[in-house]
Amino acid sequence: MTDPILSLRDVSLSLDGNAGRIDILHGITLAVGAGETVGLVGPSGSGKSSLLMLLGGLERATGGAVRVLGQDLTALSEDALARFRRDNMGVVFQSFHLIPTMTALENVATPLELAGRRDAFDRAEEELAAMGLEGRMRHYPGQLSGGEQQRVALARAAAPRPRILLADEPTGNLDETNGRAIMDLLFDLRDRHGATLVMVTHAPDLAARCDRVIGLRDGRLDAARRDAAE
Amino acid sequence: MIATALRIAARDLRGGLRGFRVFLACLTLGVAAIAAVGSVRQAVQTGLAEEGAVILGGDAEMTFTFRMADDAEAAWMREVAEAVSETVDFRSMAVAEVAGETVRGLTQVRGIDARYPLYGSVGLDPAIPLDEALGTADRPGAVMHPTLIAQMGLEIGDTVRFGAQDFELRAALTHEPDMAGGNFGPGPRTLVRLDALDGAGLLAPGTLFNSQYRLALPRGTDLAALEAEAEARFAEAGMRWKDARNAAPSLGRFVERIGAFLVLVGLAGLAVGGVGISAAVRSYLTGKTETIATLKTLGAERRTLFTVYFLQIGAMTVIGLVLGLILGAILPLGLAPLIAGALPIPADFGVHPGPLLEAALYGALTALIFTLWPLARVEHVRAAALYREGSGLGHGWPRWPFLLTIAGLVAGLVGLSAWLSGVPRLALWSAAAIAAALVILSLAALLVRVAARRLARSRLVRGRSAVRLALGAIGAPGSEATSTILSLGLGLSVLAAVGQIDTNLRAAISQDLPEVAPAYFFVDIQPDQIGPFLDAMQTDPDVTRVESAPLLRGVITRINGQPAAEVAGEHWVIRGDRGLTYQAEAPPAREITAGTWWAEDYTGPPQMAFAAEEAQEIGIGLGDTVTVTVLGRQITATIAALREVDFSNAGIGFIMTLSPDALQGAPHTHIATVYAPAEVEGRILRTVAALGSNITAISVRDAIDQVSRALSGIAAATSWGAAATLLTGFMVLIGAAAAGERARAYEAAVLKTLGASRVRILSSFALRAALLGVAAGLVAVAAGGLAGWAVTHFVMETDFAFHLASALAIVAGGALATLLAGLAFALRPLAQRPAKTLRNGN
Repeated sequence: MTDPILSLRDVSLSLDGNAGRIDILHGITLAVGAGETVGLVGPSGSGKSSLLMLLGGLERATGGAVRVLGQDLTALSEDALARFRRDNMGVVFQSFHLIPTMTALENVATPLELAGRRDAFDRAEEELAAMGLEGRMRHYPGQLSGGEQQRVALARAAAPRPRILLADEPTGNLDETNGRAIMDLLFDLRDRHGATLVMVTHAPDLAARCDRVIGLRDGRLDAARRDAAE
Repeated sequence: MIATALRIAARDLRGGLRGFRVFLACLTLGVAAIAAVGSVRQAVQTGLAEEGAVILGGDAEMTFTFRMADDAEAAWMREVAEAVSETVDFRSMAVAEVAGETVRGLTQVRGIDARYPLYGSVGLDPAIPLDEALGTADRPGAVMHPTLIAQMGLEIGDTVRFGAQDFELRAALTHEPDMAGGNFGPGPRTLVRLDALDGAGLLAPGTLFNSQYRLALPRGTDLAALEAEAEARFAEAGMRWKDARNAAPSLGRFVERIGAFLVLVGLAGLAVGGVGISAAVRSYLTGKTETIATLKTLGAERRTLFTVYFLQIGAMTVIGLVLGLILGAILPLGLAPLIAGALPIPADFGVHPGPLLEAALYGALTALIFTLWPLARVEHVRAAALYREGSGLGHGWPRWPFLLTIAGLVAGLVGLSAWLSGVPRLALWSAAAIAAALVILSLAALLVRVAARRLARSRLVRGRSAVRLALGAIGAPGSEATSTILSLGLGLSVLAAVGQIDTNLRAAISQDLPEVAPAYFFVDIQPDQIGPFLDAMQTDPDVTRVESAPLLRGVITRINGQPAAEVAGEHWVIRGDRGLTYQAEAPPAREITAGTWWAEDYTGPPQMAFAAEEAQEIGIGLGDTVTVTVLGRQITATIAALREVDFSNAGIGFIMTLSPDALQGAPHTHIATVYAPAEVEGRILRTVAALGSNITAISVRDAIDQVSRALSGIAAATSWGAAATLLTGFMVLIGAAAAGERARAYEAAVLKTLGASRVRILSSFALRAALLGVAAGLVAVAAGGLAGWAVTHFVMETDFAFHLASALAIVAGGALATLLAGLAFALRPLAQRPAKTLRNGN
């Protein structure tokens, strides 16, 4: 493997809940190379989404080191993390998380606006057209189907041309046909822009399309797939 | 960054203003109340300023006590003025024969010359010329205030006697142009010609009267310069000056004070509204958690996010302010006829920018203070909220720059109210009281929640599911307890305090005072009448006590040789003339707090006993000299003793008592108090009337009634202010109930699924609302009682007794308000089908 673009060393994550402290991840060490496609698999509650959020700087590790593009994420402030994501990452969620008061076009243009891009809306239009949503640009999320919403979310993640794409069960809320279409678009994006893709999924066929699959169980790397971690 | 934030803020607002309804209602109401009060105050003050000359009856007025102007003074007035009008003003008894009985009425007589009034006009019924009404063709005429005519049962054409002179009542006095200029007296007004009083024997030396000279000055006269000249020439002779710049100082001060007080009550209303504003912003931002987290995921920095929501809430604040200002400006205009009818002066109703700006400033600062805290929590929202439930705005403290800004804004608001109200001490105390009340109410809310949580788990409520559910809901995280107790509690606290103060004051006046207060004051008893008067009273078996003292009036002009105002500032003792007496024999030793009384046969330089408390307030003591101008003569006396004087029992009390030799030669009258049961008051009045018609009787009972009526007016104004605060509180309450509607729908759905009947669920909802209302009421009664005690004890210096009836009414009112608000927003959740609610989730 070339120099890893994402690397975790002995990372742990604990969160304080109403019922006390919960340990979610223990001693995770892994590395992902540039342009690689990695699938994170495991049963519910195994810590897949949390691991993805750590990679995206959306969650802060309680132990160990998280390095992305050579930058130690644990050393960055909230604002620095936001800027880092804006410049380098796109994130896609299972529940789409589109902003309900913005049209599809405005949703896609927002990260570009935040980056100070003057051509934000032109780029957003291009991106939506590439997703086959030319006729849906002025629609609000509530006026779109689940598949269309996820395509808008994909366009939004891809519009700033991120070097890393993180996807948290992107087909989890979609039927089989829509799910397959979204996955095709996601892999197409990765191929077009050469981005590194890390994806949480429950679907074995999706996992099979990844270069590498990493398994998790009870917050640890699954021994059965440990050889694939680094 | 601002442009991007502005665009995102505008897009985000497309979600609608639903979450801002309570926000807008609270801000609008608070700003409108303050703007309306300020506008009315400004209308009155502008009216006072513009109509100053009419209100005063001249461009300037010079007043002398117990004497007419001397030749030098009159000559100066003629020199500077284009016209001079001379009037005298005194209290007297009007006597008439009505249906074979002698009736008497206390009246404030004004003797006027032919030039009166210099400005404005007198209103009479029937509308005859003033000359005709007062003319002396056959016998002199008089016009009387309709109240006095009705009170004495007189008809136009009847004969009324003042002193030894008969007058014919020719008309009712319906309008006196200069009535508001401070020429109030204890009785209704009678107007007669000045020269008609010559034969009445009422203006004998020593009689209590004022002479007033109104001056019509050439246009462009420098009033300040003229005042300075008059003061320099005649102030030492007891002359008092007023001019059109401040025509009705007492009324002006009263309007300013009551206006300032109501603005402070309005600020309490804004504070209650602030609780609602804060809750509304918190609820709105909680609903925006996902959007905030998404924007963070897309790379939005904290500053951008804060700006987005600051701009949104700023826009809402501007809308609320504008609505409040429009309402606050329109309301006084709409009510102008009603308010103008209740005012003795012409008020200039219109849109006054000053008070509107003041209200806008208060509103903007309050909105900022109460929105910054929840806004600061926007940065606590973590992007992880998108995949993990329960990560809302959180409960942490904002960062220190926010806390510092909030503290600065609070200081700014308090400072501004202290500066703009003109009563800085009261403003600061009010701010401290509001802050203390908010802290007490917050602690009480916390206590209620902890107690409810404990009780819900205790064995006491097992088997009583409605009670357990109600207590559980009150104690649960995110319960409405805090906002309910805060919003309703503050309004109820103000009302409870007003109730306790009012009832205590009334009790002090109506119950305690008559036991020790005299039935009558008699004034203007001439030196040759005092002997027979005392004989008559002392031999009357029904009279329990009679006291008398020589009475003169004088103005303190100098203290230790310095002009009095330089030493004592604005103290009431040096404002205007004060009663003073002389006395040879020492009072009981317990009354003398310092120094020694003069010997009974003392004939040396004048000595004086000064009221101990007032001496301390002014900052004078034994050995200091006080110069008093009495009937134009200056008497300088050395303070030999300080004396405890009790003014609270309506008996005779003097600030200054002089050694007899200093005053005995001056013309003077006597004052007397007579203590007797109410049923013989009429007979005593007749006995005294037989001694001389010049003796004026003032019924203490009537005076107390007058004070009680004035207090009722102030209590009513305060209660209206408290009601506005309560209305805001009720808005906040409705907001809290509305915000909880979705949670109640979910709760009802789950309970229905588990087999609870609608009645049971409704009774649980009602019980929780009522319990919260009772809690708010109890806390308010405690806080209001404490404030009531503090005011009664420290300000009014009377005994405090807790009045249960008023307190119970407050608690019941609190329970009823929350019950109504709670039930109004419980019916829809109850009507919904559980499947639909549960499918949509909470």
